[in-house]
Amino acid sequence: MKLDVNALGTFYRMAREGTGLAAGRLTHMTGVETRVGVTKLNFMRGREIRRNFEDSRSKVGVRVELSGAIEGHSLIVFERENAIQIVETLLEEADPDSNLEVEADEFDRMSRSATTEVGHIMNSGFVDGWADVLETVIDVSTPEFVDGKTAEPFFEDVDEAPERDDLALLFQSRIEAVDTEIGFNHYLFPKRESMATLLDRLRTSDGIEYDKLDGFDRMAERGAEEVAKTATTLTGIETSVDIRRLNFVSLETIPEQVPDEKLVSVAFEFEGVPSGYLIFLFDEQSAREIVDAMVPSSIDEDGFGEMGTSAIEELGNIMASGFLDGWANVLDTAIDHSTPEFVHDFGGAAVDPVIVKLGTNQEFAFVFDTHVVADDREFDCEVYAIADESDLERALNDLDVDRIEETPTTATFQEVDNA
Amino acid sequence: MKTYGSEPGAPTSVQVGISELAVSDGDDTLKSYGLGSCLAIALYDPDGEIGGLAHAMLPDGDTATNSDRKPGKYADTAIRALLRRMVERGASYTSVEAKIAGGSDMFEFDSFGDGVGKRNADAAREELEKLGVPLVAEDVGGTHGRTVEFTPGTGTLLVKTSDEDENGVTEL
Repeated sequence: MKLDVNALGTFYRMAREGTGLAAGRLTHMTGVETRVGVTKLNFMRGREIRRNFEDSRSKVGVRVELSGAIEGHSLIVFERENAIQIVETLLEEADPDSNLEVEADEFDRMSRSATTEVGHIMNSGFVDGWADVLETVIDVSTPEFVDGKTAEPFFEDVDEAPERDDLALLFQSRIEAVDTEIGFNHYLFPKRESMATLLDRLRTSDGIEYDKLDGFDRMAERGAEEVAKTATTLTGIETSVDIRRLNFVSLETIPEQVPDEKLVSVAFEFEGVPSGYLIFLFDEQSAREIVDAMVPSSIDEDGFGEMGTSAIEELGNIMASGFLDGWANVLDTAIDHSTPEFVHDFGGAAVDPVIVKLGTNQEFAFVFDTHVVADDREFDCEVYAIADESDLERALNDLDVDRIEETPTTATFQEVDNA
Repeated sequence: MKTYGSEPGAPTSVQVGISELAVSDGDDTLKSYGLGSCLAIALYDPDGEIGGLAHAMLPDGDTATNSDRKPGKYADTAIRALLRRMVERGASYTSVEAKIAGGSDMFEFDSFGDGVGKRNADAAREELEKLGVPLVAEDVGGTHGRTVEFTPGTGTLLVKTSDEDENGVTEL
């Protein structure tokens, strides 16, 4: 299976188009104003996807099987509470005089069938959007209601659901209702052969072997672990990688994922094959914890003074080396990074310059998205590595997948040029 | 951001995401969050109380292939698309005025050259001049982010920085 940016770009447009149709139908059905949230093509390991489900909250889903131009399964997943809210809204629309409250603990037959209907209309919205973009026909089976607290019931009987270590290509979209908490996730698990055929049709270049991407992702995984390890060594705060995924998104989506609040960030440009930008984002509370841990004497500084800033920059610098050395070792190349740039401002403002720069030559980007957390206190760090498209393709083509297991990725602290 | 099924009547608040644009009137508010090098372009007709906001990411759409599909992405095509939509809604071309905010240069990376934010602001000024739309106020450049809130009815463009003191809000 080979992919290229053009083919992935088409997939991305399919996902956007499908989400728009689904949002419109949800509005039509419930009268609730909706908007399309973040749409992503994710490359995720089976275990990471499963972890998405394991936040101990009950979920309900509606699953259909697809055949035709895309084969696989399409799955709508609601938080159980949200599903109840949607059902209540629906029933109110249908009969405004009834004062119906669905009890959370008895998801009765009527709620089940109402949810199934909503989920099915959503699934059909997505599928119709894809079929429009592909100018083809995709058939949808009868819907199936699923519920549970883990991924298992949702993935049961889905042959193409990825195993623990498999890297799945996943379409993920979110629709939000304006002024309410109703939101849901949509997943598409395509069959590999069906995807390969589609990719062949949509590709406009030789493309990259999917296995190379898988290899690159394994490499990035080690880079992410390196970041967490470095953070622990430098701050004494026990940290670990919480979420990690490789996204393919339109550039505009990247700042949209960043919270509107004021954040502390450290940014780098890196040069080599690949080149790109690396940004570490901390919420203010986490940044303060880090500064306290690294330079306790700076506690009286107002905001992030000189000592605080340089502590965060230093941490960023060493994390960046850890992250990028892993790539460079496996690719057997040199990747240099700039001195850190510290920004304490709106989160989006620290990310948009990078997409403005890359936007001249590319519409989409591969983003290595990592979330590092501490077990026992506030330490929240989002890491975005955004690669220049042309270099990334070259780097991927040069990648020797077998080398990944053989090459140590650990950066030694002495090597770091702390300029 | 595009929403589905807005109720007509009551003033609404619309979020204009990157590469998007929106036209509205009266007391509605149009908001763009966390602009760094991106540029907020607000056009309004003070007589017709019609206005629009674009959240442009790049300077030049005329050389790009997708500017038809995403006019809001580029400063030049965003201005033209805003004007067209406003006129369609009843605005008078000759009374339209413009305000811009954003276009910061947050980083000094080598690859950024003379600044990616400055290019956006320059492109907007040039296009406005070409079209004969007066630029009546601007808050651009620097090394800080901005969040903007535009009210088409009054033409007020509120520019907020992340400073929490009284210097944090400027009214254009």
